[in-house]
Amino acid sequence: MTILAIFLCVTAQFFLVAGQLLFKHAMNAHQPQATKARIRNLGIGIASQAIWFFLWLGLLQNWDLSRIFPFEGLNPLLLVLGAWLILKERLTVESWVGIALITGGLVLVAR
Amino acid sequence: MTDVTVGPPASRPAVMRTFLNPYLQIVIGALLDTAGEILLKKGANAVPTAGGAGGIFGVTPLASGWTWIGIVSYVLSLVSWLYVLRSVPLSVAFPLINVVHVFVPVGASIFLHERVMPKRWLGISLIILGVFAIIKPLIKAEERL
Repeated sequence: MTILAIFLCVTAQFFLVAGQLLFKHAMNAHQPQATKARIRNLGIGIASQAIWFFLWLGLLQNWDLSRIFPFEGLNPLLLVLGAWLILKERLTVESWVGIALITGGLVLVAR
Repeated sequence: MTDVTVGPPASRPAVMRTFLNPYLQIVIGALLDTAGEILLKKGANAVPTAGGAGGIFGVTPLASGWTWIGIVSYVLSLVSWLYVLRSVPLSVAFPLINVVHVFVPVGASIFLHERVMPKRWLGISLIILGVFAIIKPLIKAEERL
């Protein structure tokens, strides 16, 4: 795979995860939120998922499904990295091992 | 002593109750997701890529019927997943739904005749192991959200 394809795969997963988080945040019934904020989050979530979808279709046009699908493994990885970078959560040793395994697996699949 | 009726409501036929079993739905959802991915790939293969910078986004596959059946299958898998999450804890459902990482490459080799080399299977195995190592704190975070 080219560097561009790998970059696009990672970018697509980023938009997918961002969309999922925005959806969950917008639909959360336990958290008091203004209706306006909910609608805004839902709107950005839909836009984010639309970007993911067309990036994904573009990737499918050029590469094997069995080659790009494993990039879905980035989904939990991005969430954990987001918790570490944005929410300043401390990662366990297990998480770091997981990050290493997923990254190593993707290198094997993409080559 | 009063009589107490126990067990699931008998109002639904047995077939329907089996179909609505959340664990069966995890399998059905995974199969629908796999079918969706394979159909999207068929749709993407059916039309030429758009030229220029627009080629990064796959808009042209929308002209293929395969893509639309794929979208329907994908949406159905999402409905099934939301149904599963109503009764199964995410800490149980999430590890199970990871079978798609095996289903999709197997489906791609059977239906799309893609060649999945041993090295790629090794990579897929590492990714699945990594996901399992990561999910515990992730599930806690997701349930908080």
